[in-house]
Formats: sequence, C-alpha cells, structure tokens
Amino acid sequence: MAALDIVMPQLGETVTEGTVTAWHKKVGDRVARDETLFDVATDKVDTEVPAPAEGVITAILVEAGATVPVGTKLAIIDASSGAQSQSVSGSTPLPNPPPQGGREVRKSMEGSPLPLRERDRERGSRHQDSKGRPLSPAVRKLAKERGIDPGKMDGTGAGGRVTRKDLEERAPTAPAAGDERIPFSRIRKLTAEHMVRSKATSPHVLQAVEAEFHRVDRARAAHGEAWREREGFTLTYLPFVARAACLAIADFPRINASVDGDTLVVHRAIHLGIAVDLGLDGLVVPVIRDAAAKSAPALARAIHDLAARARKNQLGADDYAGGTYTISNSGSFGTLITAPIINQPQVAVLSTDGVKKKPVVVEGSDGDTIAIRPVGIIAQSFDHRAIDGAYSAAFLRRVKEIVETRDWIADFAQQE
Amino acid sequence: MAELTYRDAVAAGIAQEMERDERVVFLGEDVAGAGGVFKSTVGLLEKFGPRRVKDTPISEQAILGAAMGAAMTGLRPIAEIMFSDFLAVCWDMVANEIAKTRYMSAGQLACPLVIRTANGAGSRFGAQHSQSVENWAMSVPGLKVVAPSTPADAKGLLAAAVRDPDPVVVFEHKSLYPVKGEVPDGEHVDKLGTARILRQGGDCTIIALALMVPRALEAAAKLEAEHGIKATVVDVRSLVPLDTQTILTEVSRTGRLFTVEENPRLCGWGAEIASIAAEECFYDLDAPILRITTPHVPLPSADALEDATIPSVSRIVETISRNMG
Amino acid sequence: MAEGARTKARSKTGANDDIGEATRLALWRSQFLIREAEKRAYDLFLQNLVKGTSHLSLGQEAIAAGFATAQRKDDWTFATYRGHAHTLARGAPIEGVLGELMGRDCGLMHGKGGSMHLTSAANNMMGSYAIVGAHLPIAMGAAWSAQYRGTDQVSVCFFGDGTTNIGAFHEALNMAAVWKLPVIFVCENNLYMEYTPIGQVTAVPNPAADRASAYGLDSIIVDGNDADAVFRIARDAVARARRGEGPSLIEAKTYRHSGHSRADPGKYRPDSEVKEWLARDPIPFYRKRLADFGIAEGKMRAIEDEIRAAVDAATETCKASPTPSLDLIERDVWADGGAKWRN
Repeated sequence: MAALDIVMPQLGETVTEGTVTAWHKKVGDRVARDETLFDVATDKVDTEVPAPAEGVITAILVEAGATVPVGTKLAIIDASSGAQSQSVSGSTPLPNPPPQGGREVRKSMEGSPLPLRERDRERGSRHQDSKGRPLSPAVRKLAKERGIDPGKMDGTGAGGRVTRKDLEERAPTAPAAGDERIPFSRIRKLTAEHMVRSKATSPHVLQAVEAEFHRVDRARAAHGEAWREREGFTLTYLPFVARAACLAIADFPRINASVDGDTLVVHRAIHLGIAVDLGLDGLVVPVIRDAAAKSAPALARAIHDLAARARKNQLGADDYAGGTYTISNSGSFGTLITAPIINQPQVAVLSTDGVKKKPVVVEGSDGDTIAIRPVGIIAQSFDHRAIDGAYSAAFLRRVKEIVETRDWIADFAQQE
Repeated sequence: MAELTYRDAVAAGIAQEMERDERVVFLGEDVAGAGGVFKSTVGLLEKFGPRRVKDTPISEQAILGAAMGAAMTGLRPIAEIMFSDFLAVCWDMVANEIAKTRYMSAGQLACPLVIRTANGAGSRFGAQHSQSVENWAMSVPGLKVVAPSTPADAKGLLAAAVRDPDPVVVFEHKSLYPVKGEVPDGEHVDKLGTARILRQGGDCTIIALALMVPRALEAAAKLEAEHGIKATVVDVRSLVPLDTQTILTEVSRTGRLFTVEENPRLCGWGAEIASIAAEECFYDLDAPILRITTPHVPLPSADALEDATIPSVSRIVETISRNMG
Repeated sequence: MAEGARTKARSKTGANDDIGEATRLALWRSQFLIREAEKRAYDLFLQNLVKGTSHLSLGQEAIAAGFATAQRKDDWTFATYRGHAHTLARGAPIEGVLGELMGRDCGLMHGKGGSMHLTSAANNMMGSYAIVGAHLPIAMGAAWSAQYRGTDQVSVCFFGDGTTNIGAFHEALNMAAVWKLPVIFVCENNLYMEYTPIGQVTAVPNPAADRASAYGLDSIIVDGNDADAVFRIARDAVARARRGEGPSLIEAKTYRHSGHSRADPGKYRPDSEVKEWLARDPIPFYRKRLADFGIAEGKMRAIEDEIRAAVDAATETCKASPTPSLDLIERDVWADGGAKWRN
C-alpha cells in the first residue's frame, strides 16, 4: 500500500458537492486510522471525515473553504508505514472508551469548535495584523507596549499568526552583529516585574539629608579592628544607618507601614529589609525580623549573615517575607545619591550612599570654622499616597540627628 | 498515609466529624442499616448508633427540613440526598429556605449543615439519575459548593464542610466511589475555597472538576506525549467560595484557558469562570476561552451514548490540540 | 375525638378555674396587642408607609395568643407568612414588627426579610415562612434537636388550611410521628386557601383533623376564636410532647376579617358567612367573658390603654427610624457577616 487518494465523499443520495471547512492535518503530518482528517459541509449534513488508514499526508490538493464536486481528489496519504493505529489507553479504572469514528457531528456539539483562524475569518475579525492574521488581546497589548508591528514578524501560531509567546521571546530591537542576548534569570524577571509594578503603584518622592558621620567613624576607629578580628568582617556604615532608622521609626511610626487599598497599615514590629546585590544577577531583599530590638552590633551581624547567605543562595521564602521597611546601600561604590524604588507594599525605602571627607562648616560660640568631616547623603523615596513630605522630612532629620549625635562608641562597647 | 477508596474516605470523613463533635448527626435514605446505596456510609450505624445515624422515609423535603430545623437549634447535621438529581424534589428547601434564612433573618438564624449527594454520570442510570447539577447550587446565593475529585479530598472537604458554619453542598461523584487514593492518616481537614494545581505546563491551562479532573490529567499527559503541548491542570474543587486567584494566575501565565465540565452546556460552572477570566485576564489571553462540556441535552442511558456525551479524554485531547494555533 | 368545643362562660365569679385570672389577663393582653398592632399595620398601608404585601391576622388572634401563653420561653414557634400575630405573641417588640413592614432600620430584620419572614430568635420565634408548607419539616427538625439533646423543648408550628394539601405537610407529619418528635402542628383553618374555599379543593371536610389518623395521630378540632379553648388544647398538647409522647395535629377553626393579603378585598366570601363570623369576633367575645368572670373594667381598660399607647409609641419610633443602610445588602449571606463568594 503506498499512495492513498482521499476524495470528497458523497454524504447523501442527492448530494453532489461538498465544502472542505477545515483540515485537521497538514502536509507532512502523520494521521492514524479513524483519526479525523478534515471537516466537510454539505447541504444535508456537516461531518468530520476520518482517515481510512494510517500514514503520512503527502499532499493536500483542495484548500479549506473550497467547494468541490463529490469524488474530487482532496489529499494523498502515504500509507506505506506499518505502525499500529493508536488506541486509547485502557489503564484507567474510569469509564472512558474512545469515540466512534465517522459519526455525524452536529455543529453545536460543544467542545469541537473550529480552530481559531477559521472562526475569526468567518466573522471577519477586526483585529488583524497587516498580513491579515488575527491578533489576540495579549498580542495587541504586548505589541503596543513594545512598539512592535506583528505584521513584520513570522509567528508560530496557526496560519503564521504572532502569538504572545512569540512576542515575549522576541528582542525589542533587531539585533546588531556582535550583540549578546542574555535572557533574564528568574530573579531578574521577578525583580523587573516588581520594580515596574512598584513604580506604577506608588507615586515616588525623593528626599535627602546630608549627614556627618564623624561619631560613627570614631566608633569604627575605636572598635573596628577588634570587630574584624572577632567577627571576621569589616564594620561598615550600614549597621549604623540601620540602627538610626529603627530608632527614628519609633518617633515616626508611619514610615514603617504598608498600603492596603485605602488603608495605611502601620506595623508595630520593624522587619527590616536589606537590599543585597547578587552581583549582576539581580537584587534580593532578605529581612531582619524585629530589627528594633537589635542593637547596632546585632544589626551588623544580622546584615552580614543575611547577605552572605543570600549570595550563597541559602535563604528560604521565610527570609524574604514580611518586610516592613527597606534599606538599600550603594555606599561601597561611592555614589552621591540614589533614588531607590519602594519595596511594595511598604511606603518608603532608605538609601545610603558614599561617605567621603568634605569640608564642613562647624558653628562655634567663637564663630564658624571649617572642619574636615566624613559626610554622606541619606535619601528616602516615599509613597506620596501614604505620607507627605513634611513627615518624611522630619523622619530623615531624626535619622540624621541620631547618626550625628548618638554615642556609637558606647553601643559597640557593650559587645552585644 | 493509607490507600482508601473514595467511598471509604467519605465514611471516614463522616466518622471523623461525628467522633469529634457530639452535635454532628447524619440522616438519609438507606444510609444507616444498609450503609448507603453506594456503600459510602458503611459502618456508621454500628459505630454511632441509631440515635445519631438515621434512616429516613423517602421524604427529601422532610430530610432537608429536619436538617435545617436541627441546624437552627444547635445541631450540625449531615443530610444525604441519594442522587443529586433528587435535589429537584426538595429544591425549595435548598434554594429558598436553607440558602436564604440567615440573610432574611439578618443573621438571627443559622444553618450550619451539610448536604452530601451523589452527582454525575457513568453508571448508565439514565437522565434522571446521572446529572451533574453542581451549577444549580453554585447559582444560588447562600450555598457553599464543593466537588471532590480524590479520596483525600472527599474526606478533607467533607470535614471542612461539617466544620463550616454555613450550609455546604458536597457533590460526590458516583463514578469516583471505587477509585483508590492516598488519604492522610489521622485527622484530615481540608479548606473550602481552595483550588489545587495538579500539573504545571506553560502552553495552556485546563480547569476541571470531579470526574473531569482525572480525565483532564490523562488528557494533559497525552497532549504532552503526542503533541508536545504542556498543559497546566487545575482542580477547581470549590465552586463557592471560588479560588479565583489561583485560577486566574494560571490563566494569565499561559494565556489559554480550557474548561472541562460534565454539566450540560448552558450556565455550566465553567461559563462563570470563563466570564471572570475574560474580564480580568483579557489582556493576557492569547486565544479564545474554550469550554469543553457535555452538550445541552438530557443524558442518554446506553453505555455507548453516555460515554460519547460527557467529555472524554480523547475529546479533551482533540479539542485542545486543534485549538492551540 | 377531641376536647375542645367552645367553652361557655359558667359563672360570673369563676375566673379562677383551671386557667385562672392571671393567665386570662395574659391571654387578653396578647390578643388585644395583636388586634391593635394589625389594625395599625393596615392603617399604615393605607398611608403607603407599609410596603409590599402583608397578611393580617385580624380575627385569628385567639390562636396565636392561646398557644404562646401555653408555651415555655424556650419552646419554639414557626409560622407562615401570616406571622405578625405569632411574632408579637412570643414577645417581639411592636416597633420591630411594624418597622419591618415599613422597611425601616428598626425592623426586626432591618428590612432584610419583610412581612412574610418576621423572625425574633431571641424570643424563639424561629421565622415566618413564605413557601407554603416549607416550615413544617423545619419545625419538625427543631423538635428532633430537642429530642436529641435531651432538653424538653417543644416546637409549635402554625399553618393554614391550604397547607394540608402540599407535600411537605405529609412528609413532616409522617416523619414527626415515626420519630415521635415533640412538635405540635397547628392548622389555622380560616376556611379559605387564598381565594378558594378550602372545601372545594380538599378530599376531606376537616383538612387537618381528618388527616391525623393517616399519621397515627388523634383528630383534634378546637374553636379557634375562643382563647380559653385554644389555651387548654395547647397546654395539653405541649405537656404531651414534653413527656415524650410525640407530635399532635390540631385544627383550629377560625376566620380572617380581611382578605388573604392586603391587596385582597375578600369579595369572594359570601356576605352571610362574613357576618356570622364577625359576630364571633374573638376580641369582644373574650372581653365579655372576662367581664362575666368578674374581672374589673378598670383592669382591662388599663391593659388596653397601655397597649394602645405602646402601639402609638412604636408607630412614632418606626416613622422616625431611617431606611436601612445600603451596606446591609451584602451582609449576612454567610456566618462571617459578609457575602464574598470568591477571592
């Protein structure tokens, strides 16, 4: 058995012609015996026509939509392969026998609709690309967002239509020679999603104060070496700023809050998120729970521990959950100022940047003098739905005050 | 973990709740002495006695009325309506009385009761003993509705239903009674209003209920093996409350939604979910939402006819594979 | 056959018989309250302050009063949509009843249920039911609960003559009898099933009492317009139920003064029939009996004045009460007070 002709059947005594309404297979497809090959419509009945034998479709001679006389050759099957036709697995204990081949199918039989392309063509869908291929809602949205014309692409969908997946996997611009395409890692994707959503959700306002870190530096000088020896890592500015933020939150509790619809949820505990850079692989924000109860040394340890474990991918979902306020630290890179993006659903995020020696004016009872002090900008992005500038500014002023005037040496002397 | 049949899991669930709470009582036709016409309540009479496990006359309105009156006055009854088709006989009790009494009394009266009933086709019993009518219950405000697909869920959702202070209709599937599955040992209580993702795949999302769940899973396996289509399968489990978030998340992820529903076409449960998805996931949809349902006919009795009427694995595979374009 | 022909006044000073003066005054208070409140409800309808439909118990007061007085506080009452009388008789506040009819926030159910669903669970008035017959199995279920829990509470269920032909009536009677439940089924036979004489659509002359034997129960008929007669029957039936002797089916013959519902002027009833029954109006009848028993006019007048004042005060309260807040629309579908069906 080799080439098998498939012809337009006569589906009634007086029927002289039929219309192939849809092909269920294309050239090159394998078809099983009794598997539906095409749909036909006549003036008496609409039906599905099964393949008479197993084989590969080598030619389709009449396109879908065409009306031809009974007996017209429609397709050719190469039936020379010897594989068994498929049978439905009987290994389930449930009643589930296979459907009978060649049965008459009423058009209204639910669950057997025409493929997408056919239906849209029938109804003259308004949403088509320049090549007449249908555009789904997802594709229309993505195409608009990315400024892509689907008509200029080849899609993987039925009839070559551009699918959502095609757009999602496509580069935004035509690649130039030498370009490297780096797919987003999972963390990158999640970060990207979160950042876009955060900006879309909260109207961000940036405020900053310039703080003098000389008392902090004195503490670092006094205890730094012993600390490094004992703990194995350097004491940076971050734990000091973190402690100052926690203390300031006590006076300005609405900074430590979340937005839930029309409600501001002010959190009692401070679960402090520390942004940890995973070195080009994205950003994660593990959370120090009950940070308010922790001293500056305890915060220093917690920050170091979380960052280290985050970089080694040793943290779990619980370590990232429940944050109420976040600090982002770019200081080691010496940046001037950063406008951080709020970690939803929190209402504010703090950024500490580079601390560097600058000349500052020191007011004295004998008049002003110039001194050299380590100075850095502490900035906060806040959600203007939830709080206003005055409140945020007062909070920042308090943070600055604590950084500049607290007895940090004493904090670290206690070896907590 | 133990392997139990779905029917034994039902009995175990009732027993678990009756042991835990003296207020739980159980009534229905042939449920006590005979252990139920589907043998789903075997052993309960022996264990708890005729005061707590009661055979009733053939009086559906009285069965549910008694359950309601008892629930309003301190008990936690489980009432069996033998075939879900018979809910039509006492539909006043279900829809007008039990569902509405808390609301009409502004919270003065409560109906913490469970109606459990055998739903669905496959037994060749004909049109009046084979219907899937979970959509009837879904459409009445004031009723919670679940339809377990596994023995574990049959026990766990029944237990959750008994503990729920609102009226819950539990649609067991008569064709699932002999199916075996792992059921956790000890106390097992599930949560109403939660769907379960049974399989994850990025190409399309199939949502199904009760008997259609194992069929959807089998279809998904075939779709992957034979067509390279990777489907997510979600067992809806609870129609009211509806776990819309789980379902919509999976629809958004794949952009394609297929429902597999045993109820007849019009106003099936999938129509509601399709509507919600069209509204809330519109811009994630890459293809029209398709419902695979029983056609809008009463169910024929002959085995060949019945099997070809309710959605089969091959119809699911066929429909989905032809609509991935 | 029954106890319960109409009790005739025996002596002018015989108030302290098996019923006693105190109970009689209670029976009077209850009937008079119902009469005044129902008259007020009708007036308020004419002023378009009572909305929707209302089914008044004018003429049927003795039944509600007789049973309520015989019941214990923790016994339950279930009624039909003609339930204002029973709700008041169990002690629900007048402004709660009138307010519900007027769709105001002070209504017993804040306007959620309306006239046909009056409920006062605090007084164990477990609802008025609009679907004919539905509450009979429910009342039976409450009785089952009492039997199960070993309390000796009794469930009393009121319904009309038309109910005796609906399926739920038969299912409830049968199950109550088989399980020997402490439930009393009281048929208020006012001779008309809505607009049709009950005799035209029922196979037996006494629609409830003649069905009793089908359920192994005694046939009991009582003059529903004589509160003393009703009270005696009620007391005995309740006592029997409390002793675990099972259900009773009682047919109380009565008549309603107005139409089936407010909208019905009742023109389908022959004038002579209406006239005959109005002459047996339970209210003047009972007042005369109390007087014949030697109860002082002043005592009765005091009760009546008090009730009239209370009905007036309640009317003013209702008129001043706001319409219910719109957020009640999505409250109390579920036990958590809300209406959420999805997350």
